[in-house]
Amino acid sequence: MTDIAHLVDHVAHVLPAQGPIGVFIHHNTLHAWEDQRFEDAVVRAARRLGCQPFLPEDAYREELRRGRIGHRDVDAVLEEALAARADEAVVDGITRRELWRLLLLHGIPEARGARLSWLLSETDVLEGHTDLWEACLKAIGRSSHPPWSIAPPRRRHRDLLVATSDVDPDEWTRPVQIRFVGAYLDQGLARWPMPGRERGMYGCFLSFYGDSAARRCGAWAAGLVDLVVDDRRAGRDGAASLVRSLEDLGVPPTEWQEFLENEALWLRGWAGMVRQLETRPDRAPALAVPARLVDYLAVQLLLSRAALRHAMGLARIEGPLSQLRTNLQAHEPAPAPPPATERAWPVFHAAQLCGLSADRVAVLDAEKATVLETEVAQIDGLVRRRLLHVAFERRLRHRFYDALLQNVPRPPARRPAFQAMFCLDDREESFRRHLEEVEPDVETFGTAGFFGVAMYFRAAHAAHARPLCPVVLKPEHYVAEVGDAATSSPILRPVLAALRMTALVLRVLFPWLHRNVSRLQHALSGHAGARLRIDRAQGTPPLGKHVGFTVDEMADIVRGQLAPLGIAGRFARLVLVLGHGSTSLNNPQESAYDCGACGGGRGGPNGRAFAQMANDPRVRARLAGRGLPIPEDTWFVGGQRNSANNDVDLYDEDLVPDALRDDLERVRRTLEIARRRESHERCRRFESAPPSWFPEAASLLHVQARSADLAQPRPECGHATNAVCVIGRRSCTRGLFLDRRAFLVSYDATCDADGAALARLLAAVTPVLAGINLEYFFGFLDPTGYGCGTKLPHNVTGLLGVMDGAQSDLRTGLPWQMLEIHEPVRLTILVEATPEVLRRAVERDAYLGRLVRGRWLYLAALHPTERRLFEIDDAGEHPYAVEEPLPVVRGPSRTHYAGHAEHLPFVRIEPEVA
Amino acid sequence: MCLAPLVPLALLSGAAVFGRRASENAVAATIRTSIIAGSIAAGVALVERIANPSATSLLSYGQWFSYGEDAFRLDFVADAPALGFALLSTGICGVVAAFSLSYLHRERGFHRYFVQFCLFTLGITLVALAGSIEVLFAGWELLGLSSVLLVGFFHERPATVANALRVFTVYRASDAAMLSAAVLLHHWAGSGSLSLLFSGAPTAALGPGRSLAIVLLLMIAVAGKSALLPFSGWLPRAMEGPTSSSAVYYGALSIHAGCFLLLRAEPLLVGVWLARLLAALAGAMTALYAALTMRVQSDVKSRLSYAALTQVGIIVIEISLGWTTLAFLHIVAHASLRLLQFLGAPNVLHDLHELEDRAGGRAGRRVTRKLPAWLYLFALERGFVDALLDRMVVRPFFVVAGWLDRLDRRLVGAPDEGGRR
Repeated sequence: MTDIAHLVDHVAHVLPAQGPIGVFIHHNTLHAWEDQRFEDAVVRAARRLGCQPFLPEDAYREELRRGRIGHRDVDAVLEEALAARADEAVVDGITRRELWRLLLLHGIPEARGARLSWLLSETDVLEGHTDLWEACLKAIGRSSHPPWSIAPPRRRHRDLLVATSDVDPDEWTRPVQIRFVGAYLDQGLARWPMPGRERGMYGCFLSFYGDSAARRCGAWAAGLVDLVVDDRRAGRDGAASLVRSLEDLGVPPTEWQEFLENEALWLRGWAGMVRQLETRPDRAPALAVPARLVDYLAVQLLLSRAALRHAMGLARIEGPLSQLRTNLQAHEPAPAPPPATERAWPVFHAAQLCGLSADRVAVLDAEKATVLETEVAQIDGLVRRRLLHVAFERRLRHRFYDALLQNVPRPPARRPAFQAMFCLDDREESFRRHLEEVEPDVETFGTAGFFGVAMYFRAAHAAHARPLCPVVLKPEHYVAEVGDAATSSPILRPVLAALRMTALVLRVLFPWLHRNVSRLQHALSGHAGARLRIDRAQGTPPLGKHVGFTVDEMADIVRGQLAPLGIAGRFARLVLVLGHGSTSLNNPQESAYDCGACGGGRGGPNGRAFAQMANDPRVRARLAGRGLPIPEDTWFVGGQRNSANNDVDLYDEDLVPDALRDDLERVRRTLEIARRRESHERCRRFESAPPSWFPEAASLLHVQARSADLAQPRPECGHATNAVCVIGRRSCTRGLFLDRRAFLVSYDATCDADGAALARLLAAVTPVLAGINLEYFFGFLDPTGYGCGTKLPHNVTGLLGVMDGAQSDLRTGLPWQMLEIHEPVRLTILVEATPEVLRRAVERDAYLGRLVRGRWLYLAALHPTERRLFEIDDAGEHPYAVEEPLPVVRGPSRTHYAGHAEHLPFVRIEPEVA
Repeated sequence: MCLAPLVPLALLSGAAVFGRRASENAVAATIRTSIIAGSIAAGVALVERIANPSATSLLSYGQWFSYGEDAFRLDFVADAPALGFALLSTGICGVVAAFSLSYLHRERGFHRYFVQFCLFTLGITLVALAGSIEVLFAGWELLGLSSVLLVGFFHERPATVANALRVFTVYRASDAAMLSAAVLLHHWAGSGSLSLLFSGAPTAALGPGRSLAIVLLLMIAVAGKSALLPFSGWLPRAMEGPTSSSAVYYGALSIHAGCFLLLRAEPLLVGVWLARLLAALAGAMTALYAALTMRVQSDVKSRLSYAALTQVGIIVIEISLGWTTLAFLHIVAHASLRLLQFLGAPNVLHDLHELEDRAGGRAGRRVTRKLPAWLYLFALERGFVDALLDRMVVRPFFVVAGWLDRLDRRLVGAPDEGGRR
């Protein structure tokens, strides 16, 4: 029995790891393949899951045409792929490099079977080349290329049955299984929850589907009741029933794992959700129902057995169920070797591309023909797509290196006008840039957006506390916002209710009006004056271990955040600490737009708590003792930027000392202009936004309306287009237009000689960054396979996830509307550190090491004092030399992006000369 | 008023025929203009009608064709219920069009959606204003056709197509009843004009037996369109399309089209107590069944569709009791409410959090009463209605068809045997 439990644990690896949708945590879609090399992993996973490993070849060819893949990139990629074999002659004096290059640049139209016959007989593909075609056909006849042999995958019984008859047992069991599992896992959508769920999924199933009423589910279900009764009588639990089913289905124990994987992948979303609730019951939104994957599989196989038996009757197949698979497999025709036309087709194209005439092909002897065919077969569609993809990534990555190497660093002012700490999120890149353009004396920082404050937080108006920290951490501290209770009077309440009804209608017709209504509602309900209670208090918190933080803990947090920033000695009078979050309506994936470093939550409270800690005189006294004095006239202000509607809320403004009032006013004015400009820049990506020559205020109105519009499936851009990450001082990136594509983490290598802080930083941020990047990557490659397809038919189920339409598998991943403008490139992390320090840090971190070795991300070191850059991979360090000059644009960012909706090149933005 | 949806329909499909594709903005402009124009027309007509109740309500636009003494007339009726329903329809279509224009932005099939949406608007307006059974039937068919096409909107997914086909089959079966009713009405009354039904005392003119026959056929049509028992199984399956089309069809208008037809045909029920009883029974059973089923559904769209069905059942009861004014108001109120609920269905998580924050704790009553296993199973499996239809109708149908096929082969030989494998 432990065997089967062990087996199911293995099976669970291939399932999607998305938890309940209310808290959306980005993760690598192919986490199960992470220990393999990326290029092999994508192909294997694609085969296993029936998805696309790369973009279609045409998409790359389009990028070639647009110059987003250069010939230089193709050559470099070939150099790496072919290495020493590049200059060998393949045929008639043509080198392998030449042949591969031509095939990469021009491709071979994919054609097989009926499509190929149609092309050959009905179109003019052969026109003018009939001699060559004949010659190729003849050459193929001489070639002794071993025939393709693809071992047929062992499939589910049903697949074999459907291939030979017209009955499909899945059609009968799928609705029953989805309804049952959905109702069992339901977190509160159904008014009547399923009774008796404490018995576990399998126990529940036995009690309902053993009732004779279950026979009415359909003609196939008559046998189901007997199977259930049999299991009940024998007293089997889920695991025992699973073993019984495997035996009954005639699966030999050696194949159990593969068979169960196939079964689990059939409705992989549901199976994955069961597994998530099994391993992380604390993440269940309302109640942790006992969920076990083994029970789920037992239910599925029980249903299958009943349906298969009935299907055998309909298809008139004799014999016991255990023989069904062997019988059907025996009757399956063996895969035929490809006909000569299919083999000649790529050779024909290769010959044309290489300029081989019919005569030259005709004289190829058997050996040479074999060499040619084998060579051309080696660079099939899949290989071409892979190489083109690598070339595509290379170009973007190198332009990024060029930008970093040629940017002119500008040291920060000795005492900046004000300072602002942001999340490292790619969506903050534009906001920071605009802030700096409006106020050149400002200094900005980027750090993981929970600002080191890992806590369970309960807002004054909220019913529940929720964790606000990266998902890998489990908070120990509980912080509540307390203050005046809601002040709505009995008279106001009905008025508010009436407003709410009107608001519903207004939402649909006039989204921008709705915002004002909800503002009004918010103001009337009154939560002003509430404060965070962050001091340690006695008592046991509802979640976590302690209420609040001790002064020492606060000092550690503040120091841990501030020290790596290199901020010491130049504190401004005001330091903003801005978390971020996002609001949108009619969007089950709303949480996917929130802060990844807060585990899919909103980071405002973290910024606020951090500011409160850093302002605390007790904390400051301790920090001064530990070599990080904060000047007395410095004040921290927490806040939150809404990345959808660009609201910037500052908290506890009333506590700001009077001497800093003017500074605060200046900060507010700057933020106001910056948020308008940021909205304007974001609007270039929205087709329905006002044109770019409209005033920036119109763009702000537009993004506000988007965030409050029930009919808007694209409230903001999310992390779409994310591509690169810089871990270093802002001075290396300041002035660069990175097009909202860069995660920016502040790290000052000069304060961290041994690289200890860097190692901590990398360990903290890489899982978040790789998760975001790879989820978008795979989602874009296959929006319906790895992503959850278009949002329009989505149907929220059980408060756990979405189905497509009436009844389907639980759809995991990102919706197409979120991915639409993305460009799938693996993340490039560039660290401002010496290559030695960086290599040491990578070696210390097993996870990062695995990602770097398997090429799931690219890593580079920018030397902090010399202008040198090294790419780092498992083979070592490779110095990089500038390839192209960095364009310079004068004026605000607007001059560069206005009127463009597409991806823009990285440039340096320099202030206009008056 | 009927012209309103015709204009964008003609423009959109015309453009498609000529291989052109209008920009989204152009589509938006035509749709907005035409629906606003339609609503204004309906509103003005309704005000006029209320101000001047004695005016004639039958508008005849000539006849389509005639055969012998039977004439197929293009008649419209413009009395208060007709105009009221038309106003409701255009209003709701307007809201949904506004919603869909941004909801479907950049979606593949944007144009297809709006062509079908215009078909729908045309169909529902025809049903509302029909003055003869031919016009009614035309509207009814447009309604059904566009409905099925939108259920199958995402036709690259097999489950979607299968469910659309199921809806289509139920619609066809009930439309056959509607057609039979039309033929019988022509046969017995000599014309397809509905003025007989709407105004006079039809039972007196036709006789109770004939009235009953027509009512029963109409009841089948109504049951199919409004998903009354035993046809209820298609309703949750119809949730395959985009949220906005589910809202307008199964939340707001299409589901009430059957009720509206029954409402118009209510005079036929006068004096035919058996028909009244049957209608009341169908309504009551549907309401009970849907209320029970709704309570255990764990996905938001199924929940909403069964909730809607409960109200539809109650509306049918009201009509059968002769409370037509109440029924009409019920339709208007229910359609509006359900429309908003459906449009906001994907917002359920957001709404729940907001609700819980306001309530200060877990929202909603979580009833954990002791339910017998069979009752819970009955609700979870949606009353086994689909399996019942499969067993009672589909399988016998296939058996008979197979039998006829074999008979046919034996009698005529099998001309296509050579081409078959």
